Amino acid sequence: MTLAALTNDQRDALQELTNIAMGQAGSSLATLLDAFVDLSVPRIRVVEVVELPATLSDLVGKNNLVSAVRQSFQGYLRGEAIIIFGEPGTHALADLMGYEGELAESGQAELLLDVANVLSGACLGGMMEQIRNFTETHGPAELSFSMPSIMVRDVPAAQIIDPQKVQWTHSLLLEVNFTIKDRNFVAHLTMLMPEDGIEKIRGIVDEFIAAF
Amino acid sequence: MSEGVIPFSLAENVLKRIDVGIFVLNKNFEVQLWNNFMVHHSGHQAKDMLGKNLFDAFPDLPKPWFTKKVNTVIMLNNFAFISWENRPFLFRFAHNRPITGGADHMYQNCMLMPVSNDSSKPESVCVVIFDVTDTAIATTMLKDAMERIADISNRDGLTGIYNRRYLETRLESEFDRTRRYGGTFSMILFDLDFFKKVNDTYGHLAGDKVLVEVARRMSDQLRTTDVVGRYGGEEFALILPETPIEGARVFGDRLREMIELEPVIYDNTTIPVTVSMGATEYSADLASYDKLILQSDVALYASKAGGRNCLTCYSPELETIAASGAKH
Repeated sequence: MTLAALTNDQRDALQELTNIAMGQAGSSLATLLDAFVDLSVPRIRVVEVVELPATLSDLVGKNNLVSAVRQSFQGYLRGEAIIIFGEPGTHALADLMGYEGELAESGQAELLLDVANVLSGACLGGMMEQIRNFTETHGPAELSFSMPSIMVRDVPAAQIIDPQKVQWTHSLLLEVNFTIKDRNFVAHLTMLMPEDGIEKIRGIVDEFIAAF
Repeated sequence: MSEGVIPFSLAENVLKRIDVGIFVLNKNFEVQLWNNFMVHHSGHQAKDMLGKNLFDAFPDLPKPWFTKKVNTVIMLNNFAFISWENRPFLFRFAHNRPITGGADHMYQNCMLMPVSNDSSKPESVCVVIFDVTDTAIATTMLKDAMERIADISNRDGLTGIYNRRYLETRLESEFDRTRRYGGTFSMILFDLDFFKKVNDTYGHLAGDKVLVEVARRMSDQLRTTDVVGRYGGEEFALILPETPIEGARVFGDRLREMIELEPVIYDNTTIPVTVSMGATEYSADLASYDKLILQSDVALYASKAGGRNCLTCYSPELETIAASGAKH
């Protein structure tokens, strides 16, 4: 891999950029779910795709089952967002929607898709908004999203992504902690993109650092 | 590329004639735009729809759900999507392949976008409807085919009941489920008595017929949750969820008697058939599911040693009989 990891300064700046972006995600989710949602400050890092299964497995816990939603985005940046929910997350969401006990299969799927869509929209859309605020060097910062779909249901985290089959080389991995109605759960948002995407982000981050 | 503005009439024509459904709603769900796709599929003319409340024109729409969806798009200023896999359609439209279709309506993917006249806060939502009937039919056919293949790969070719591979998978999942959520289950392993003699005396086709017949009779007796499979040559296994060993004994004995009482007829020849059975019950101290197979095998051995055509429930003492038997 030719791409060196982000420097500390770059990572701090990227963290700052996503903090602002995700600031709105909490209130967006609260609106969607009609409940108070507390969103932690996200943790962000750049991970090579080959390391992703192991990293996700560490984050989620080797024996825990997860469900994942994928959604592609194009425009200013292109790539694929993958949003990963642990089992507790799915149940917390189901409870919230007022489903007693069993949530109908398709209702649960729709809920996962909606929440995933809001998360990726808030995160990437928010980042675009920040970028528009301080730079126009890289062209108009706009993205469009494709329809999200469920990738996997209830599989070990290590099985979500098969690096052999992924065209992207790098990913931005974002870890978000939620609290909804006293229930804590974690969702992981990973944005896979080609190497030039990461380079572009590095450029943006450098400008961000220079601007402040 | 120059930042040229697309002539309005051109954009309008494209919008009108493109083969995807496009319509725009304001916050009061009044229609502001209704393209030809929508006209042709709904039968509602644009001039009738403009300014009209969508739910008044389409009383069958799932109002609370769709209202929430649209409101969220405006409030969050974010795209939203509806997939045919969760909801087959938003509008019940006929589809364009009534002969080759096999579906009675158009499957739709929908995309909802926040829009406004200028670039300020969104005040309307543009809904785009894609006809994905072809995709839906292909996906459904593929899914059916995959299920059929999965089922075939789980079944024994001769008898049509489950095969050993599937039995072990089910046994393992039943074992894990019971360990996790409590409860119990039993399994019975059984074997046709003197099956080799059947083959030698009446021929292999007769032997096959006996296997098929035994499998069929058992399948008829099962509760829906029970699983029966062919474990090996003339060896079968039963998994009985939520059944303690006493229940397994009663059930197993009934099956055994049923098989004994009605001989198999092959080519006008009456072939007497009996089976020996070994039963065992889940226990929390077992390390893994294959211990259950070992235990029922030990019990089965005891049945064979005890004169056949009977059922033995596993107990640890049986291990010594099996061990001494194995030496001979």
